[in-house]
Amino acid sequence: MNTDPTWLTSLWQSADALWPAWVAGAAIGVLAFGQRWLTDQPLGCSAAFGNACARLGSRLPLFQSNAHGTHTDWKLWFLVGIFLGGLLASLSNGSFAAPSHFGDLYTALMPQDTAARIAWWLFGGVMIGLGSRMAGGCTSGHTINGVAMGSPASIVASAFFFGAALATAQIADWLLRATGALS
Amino acid sequence: MKNLSKNTRNGLFLLIGTAFGFLLSRAGATDPAMIGKLLLLQNLHLLWVIATAVLVGGVLNLAAKIWHWRSLATGQPLSFPHKPFVRALVPGAILFGIGWGLTGVCPGTAPAMLGEGQWFVAVILVGIVIGTWLVGFVQHAWHRHQQRQRAESVRAS
Repeated sequence: MNTDPTWLTSLWQSADALWPAWVAGAAIGVLAFGQRWLTDQPLGCSAAFGNACARLGSRLPLFQSNAHGTHTDWKLWFLVGIFLGGLLASLSNGSFAAPSHFGDLYTALMPQDTAARIAWWLFGGVMIGLGSRMAGGCTSGHTINGVAMGSPASIVASAFFFGAALATAQIADWLLRATGALS
Repeated sequence: MKNLSKNTRNGLFLLIGTAFGFLLSRAGATDPAMIGKLLLLQNLHLLWVIATAVLVGGVLNLAAKIWHWRSLATGQPLSFPHKPFVRALVPGAILFGIGWGLTGVCPGTAPAMLGEGQWFVAVILVGIVIGTWLVGFVQHAWHRHQQRQRAESVRAS
């Protein structure tokens, strides 16, 4: 245990220093439970995009269903909060609007051309939205919330999306190395 | 949440979301390079974040179940609604995993990344909305197709 008093202030500030994994993880675990205790609603993010579809005027039955009705618009407010949280985090350590770190993998993987890059991100986004809505949750709803309840469907979903993400990155890395795009 | 007014409830979720977004950012989950290193097993920081979150959340859930802790909003014992085993669960999880693996972004980190001024995520957010809408569209088309088939088989018999 680090007893250095500057350690606490560094939790709030300090440019690119991340919180120790166990501190950030424990805080997220407490927050997820805190939400359950305060509101009796499970943590989740991807369902809010269904509310967004409803609010954008879609008349499809899925978005007119109980799960995405106006009485569940707190899901959208939760996403607005996440946006503000990211803003607060970046303003407090001076990283706001700093260039994204894509790392070796994504830098080599993304198309160079701007239009192609936009199409790439759009495609990625569609896969994320499609897959998480089909599976009924994402990393927060299925993993942080569902696995912590011991929910079997969430454990299976988490295993498959972690497996698929791992395989995707590994195959991409292997292909990029094989073609000499990544060394 | 019956006891909460609509505005109180929305404000409460705005606050919880703000804390969640801040934590995702401080955890490094909003950094695509960190996700890439996690998936290539080069840096397991985020794995430990997720594992600790699940462990701490799991212990608290278990304690709440054992001692019947009551929700502040409802006054009733906490509910633990398990997500259902839908037929699209596994294919959906695989598609989501591919999208996550290709971009290093997920539905929870995307709004936080936009808040950090990582503007490219605006494109991904549009994609997530389109992908979500496609599920509603295909589901509706499928149901109508089934209804039509059922109607035809009734007519034939």
